[in-house]
This record gives sequence, C-alpha cells and structure tokens, in this order.
Amino acid sequence: MALVTAMRRLAQVSLREFSRRSTAVSWGAFLTAERSFTTGAQPLRSDNKVTVHFINRDGEKITVKASPGDSLLDVVINEDLDFDGFGACEGTLACSTCHLIFDEEMYKKLGPVTDEEMDMLDLAYGLTETSRLGCQICLTKSLEGMVARVPESVADIRQTKDGSA
Amino acid sequence: MIFVRRMLQQALRVSVRSAFPLAKWMERWTEGAAAPPLESALQAVRTLDDMPGPTAASFAWDLFARGGLSRLHELQLKGVQRYGPMWKASFGPILTVHVADPALIEQVLRQEGQHPMRSDLSSWKDYRKLRGHHFGLLTAEGEEWQAVRSLLGKHMLRPKAVEVYDKTLNNVVSDLIAKLRLRRSAQGLVTDITSEFYRFGLEGISSVLFESRIGCLDMVIPEETERFIQSINTMFVMTLLTMAMPSWLHQLFPKPWKVFCQCWDDMFEFAKGHIDQRLMAEAERIARGEKVEGRYLTYFLSQTGLPMKTVYSNVTELLLAGVDTISSTMSWTLYELSRHPEIQAALREEVSTVLEGRRVPEASDVAHMPLLKATVKEVLRLYPVIPANARVIAEKDIQVGGYLIPKNTLITLCQFATSRDPAVFQNPDDFLPHRWFNKDVTHHPYASVPFGVGKRSCIGRRIAELELYLALSRILTEFEVKPDPEGVSVKPMTRTLLVPENAINLQFVER
Repeated sequence: MALVTAMRRLAQVSLREFSRRSTAVSWGAFLTAERSFTTGAQPLRSDNKVTVHFINRDGEKITVKASPGDSLLDVVINEDLDFDGFGACEGTLACSTCHLIFDEEMYKKLGPVTDEEMDMLDLAYGLTETSRLGCQICLTKSLEGMVARVPESVADIRQTKDGSA
Repeated sequence: MIFVRRMLQQALRVSVRSAFPLAKWMERWTEGAAAPPLESALQAVRTLDDMPGPTAASFAWDLFARGGLSRLHELQLKGVQRYGPMWKASFGPILTVHVADPALIEQVLRQEGQHPMRSDLSSWKDYRKLRGHHFGLLTAEGEEWQAVRSLLGKHMLRPKAVEVYDKTLNNVVSDLIAKLRLRRSAQGLVTDITSEFYRFGLEGISSVLFESRIGCLDMVIPEETERFIQSINTMFVMTLLTMAMPSWLHQLFPKPWKVFCQCWDDMFEFAKGHIDQRLMAEAERIARGEKVEGRYLTYFLSQTGLPMKTVYSNVTELLLAGVDTISSTMSWTLYELSRHPEIQAALREEVSTVLEGRRVPEASDVAHMPLLKATVKEVLRLYPVIPANARVIAEKDIQVGGYLIPKNTLITLCQFATSRDPAVFQNPDDFLPHRWFNKDVTHHPYASVPFGVGKRSCIGRRIAELELYLALSRILTEFEVKPDPEGVSVKPMTRTLLVPENAINLQFVER
C-alpha cells in the first residue's frame, strides 16, 4: 500500500514538474509573439535607456536596459524574463501576478496608486508596504537603477514543501 | 462509537428519511462523524470520501420540493452552519465541492492554472454544441478562450481604455433620467425600478458594443428588445433547472430544455441581427468612399479575423452579461440609499463637491468619489450578482483545506456565504459603506470578490463600474430617492444570478 502511495506521489511530482515546464515554454512563446508585435521600429539610443535590476525568486539579480515609457511588465515581456506566472492578465488590472516589491526610497518615487491597482494589490500574495503592480509602473529616467524584487509565489512554497516531504 | 455512527449513516442513506424530523436529527448526528476535528487536518490529507455533506436524495429534496433553487444562496449559509467551510453535494448528476471560507477560496483560485475554467459541463455549452454555434467568452475554454480574452481585455479592462466610453454612457444615462421622470406617478413613485434598469443595462452595453442606440429607453420599446430581455430572464431560471435535472428526468419532462433552447435562439438572433445591421451600414459607408473609424467593440472584433460565428457568440454573451448585473446592482444601491438617507446625503455632497456645479460627471471625476465606490462595494458585498462562482481544475489534483480534490472536480466557491460571514464582516447584514474606509478592521481580501479574481474574472467589470458610477451620481444629483411609502422590504433570490425577489418601488423626488 505504502509503495503504491509512494509511486503515485512520484508520478504526481514529475507530472507537476512537467506541466510547470510546459507552461513556461508555451507562455514564453506567447510572450515572444507579443514582443514582435509591440516593439516595432523604435530607434532609441541606448543612452536614453533606463537600467532596471530584477531580483528573481531564486534571489538572482537580472539587469536589463529598458525604454522610458515602458511598464515594468512590458520590460519583463520584452526581455523574455522567465518569472513563472508573471503578468497573467496581460496588464489589464484583473490579477496581481505582476506583483513587485521595492525598497522604501524607490517606492516613494513611483507615484500614486490608483484605486483599481489598490483593489488588485489587496489580493496579492505576500503583500508588503512597498508593493506595486509591475504593469502600473512606467519607466522614467528618474527611476534609473531601480531594483524590483519578484516575491515568492504560493507555487514556490508548495514546491519546496513537496520537495522536502 | 464512531463505528456505530457510520453504520447508522449507511443505513440512513438508503432510507427515505428527509421528511421525518427524527431521521433528520439522526442524519445530522451521524454526519458529525464524517468531519474529523481541524487539528488532524494538518497531519493527514483527507479525500472526498471523508468530506461531509447532504446525501443526494436530501439535497435534491431541498432543491426541488422546497424551492431551494431560488434559495441556493441561503443554502450556502445553512451548509456552513451544518458542515463547516467545505462540504460536498450532488447538484443533479454533478458532484460538487462547496468551499465557503475566504482563505480556502484563495487556495483554490491560486491554483487555477493558465486557462482557468468555470465549469466543463454546462447546459450553456450543450446548447451551443447542439446548434453549431461557437463559444463566447463565458463558455469558451483554453486557447480559444485566451485568444478572445486577450483581444477584448485590452479594450474593456484597462482603465484608460474604458474612459473613452463615458460620453456614450452619459447619453444613455440622460435617457434613463428622462424615462424615470416619465414613469413617475403624481407622488413621484416609480414601480419596479429593476425592469427599468434592465432596459438601461441593455441600452448601455449595446451602446458600447454597437456605438448605436437600440431604443430600450424610448417611449415605445421595440418588441424584439422586450423579447430579448424576457429570454434572458427565462434562460437564467431554466439554467439551474436544466442542470439540476438528471437525464432521465429530462426525458420525462422535456419542456425546460426546450424553453431553454428557445430563449437562447432568440438571444442569438437578436445579437446577430444587430451585428449584421451595424456592419452592413459600415460596409455601405466604405463603398461610398467614406472613412470609417469605429471604436465600438463589435467593429473591432469583426476586424480581428475571427470567424463571424465567434463574433456572434461573443457579442451575444457580452450583451446578456451586461443586463442583470447592472440592473440588480442599481436597484439594490438605490434601495439601500433610500433606507439610509444620511448616507445618501453624504454621497450627494461628495458628488456635488467634485462636480462643482456641473450636472454631468466624466470618467475622471469618479476617482475623487471614494464614498460612491465604497457604496457600490458594499452593495456588491450584500448582494453579489454572482452568489456562487465555480472552478474546475483540469490539470492536476489540488489540495484545499486539507482535502485532496481530484482534478476535474467542480468546485463551488460560496461567495454569498463569505461576504456575509460574521467572522469576516462585523454586522454582516447591515449596509455600512464606511466599513471599507476603516483601516484598523481589515477583512480577508477574498471574502468579497464580486467580479471574481484573475485572468478569468469579469471582463465587463470596468465598463460596469463606470456605468454604475455615472448613473448613480447623476440620479443623486437630479433626485432625492425615498423608499416606497408602503414600506415593503425586499429580499434577494437566486435565478442563477442573485436578483431582487419582488418589485422594488422607489420615490424619485425632484431636487
């Protein structure tokens, strides 16, 4: 009986792993398609660009150059950054999966939060005092060097638990 | 002891006991055995077999013999009292797990996956398959759903994109105000305001979809429009009935399904007629060499390369989704405001301060009306248009509240119960818009989510909110709204959606 349970468990874990990976792939493909759509011919000189640092869920720092006027969600899409499940509603303010956390000083520079964003932020996992939705943050030169941390998702926590169990 | 209970439970399952109070009591006692205490939930994962719930026969008895279909929202409250935050019940041929705790609802929604599904079996889908129609946003799944959602989401949900509809909607509101004046008795009483708001809802969503008016608020309403509205009503009643009926009962009583199909036929025909008419006019203009720049959604959809059948089904579903939702929420808001004159006065003060002498608000004004927003939030907490949401997670088994829920199980999210849960909201049955300003008493964010959450949430949300804000602020500017002098109180009932059980009559006194 225990053996059966163990087998079933193993099958489930590998299935989950598989579905996670295939999700990432198809999502990635979708995003790349979107990218060729939105970024047309925009001859922006690199000195016009804003440097953004993301810290992913594994704590790794990813540094990218992005155009002023783009939202942080646009940046994640354009750069094809692989943050699983990020931006599920495609910037329509219907979810909170593009939740990002900033340090206090940067948070103050980000401008006011609309009611619509606040309603969605309330539903975010691991909400902090300095949380914002990436789709609502528009890059400007004054945000040069900003650090945006991708919070741990529920899925991560569950996976860690499963791994240790 | 537990063993004895289980035995009894088995025995009771096969007996006809629902009508006997003693048997009912025994049933309750034995069902207690099926729900182990919470602490053990943390240790062992339980299965659906361990989950409490009424037997198929007693639930069917509640539904059919005791008018439970229109009291489904109340059955949620009974379910929580009797079984705790999770229970199972057979709705017709479908076994569904009820979840009635905000934290557990959050657990379900966070595992909904890439293409969230509301329900894989439904009479709505059956009808479309039968007639060879395509699926719209309410009924499509997977990639098919995602494609249209991505196209329309940009135009319907982004706050900036929605602002452009304010002039169109304000024109409809002007007609509503005129219609209310026309409908008033000498004492200012307008009877059955919900039916008036029904026509307002349909005119509003049509103006957004077609950028043309269809005459719902005219003196004489086109016959096909009245029939469309009637079809929506009947279709919603028949939805629950046809789904709760097992297939053998359908064979015995074929009428509900027939009526249900007839309603949908009328609705599809209505939408198709308007779409064809609109696009034809557009084509003629192009033929004459005129420039066409349609901003309305039907035109946009028809230009995306989607098959016309997909355009028809999506527009039909968008039309229908914009009617009950608006009319119920408008009716309940004015009903509650008429019974709370102090809140009505404060709200009118807020509106007039923002408008500074103007009589017609714009989309950008609404951002400065927090009490108006809190009022609508509070109304939707008390009377959520969708009293129960649903999810089917097809990709994997999930764990919720210590139970393992096999994939493809229909999960009913009991939003009516959570939004009236006294453990979450103090004085849950009271209309208290100010509770949404109180930062000290926070409530679980998933307790009241009337539009749903995430990528499958209501796509019409922002348009509906704008429409409500524009109409309510305008009505409060023009009228003082007072209760029916007869002093009748009205309760909600379930007709798939939550609607007023009886006519709401209100006095609109000129200011």
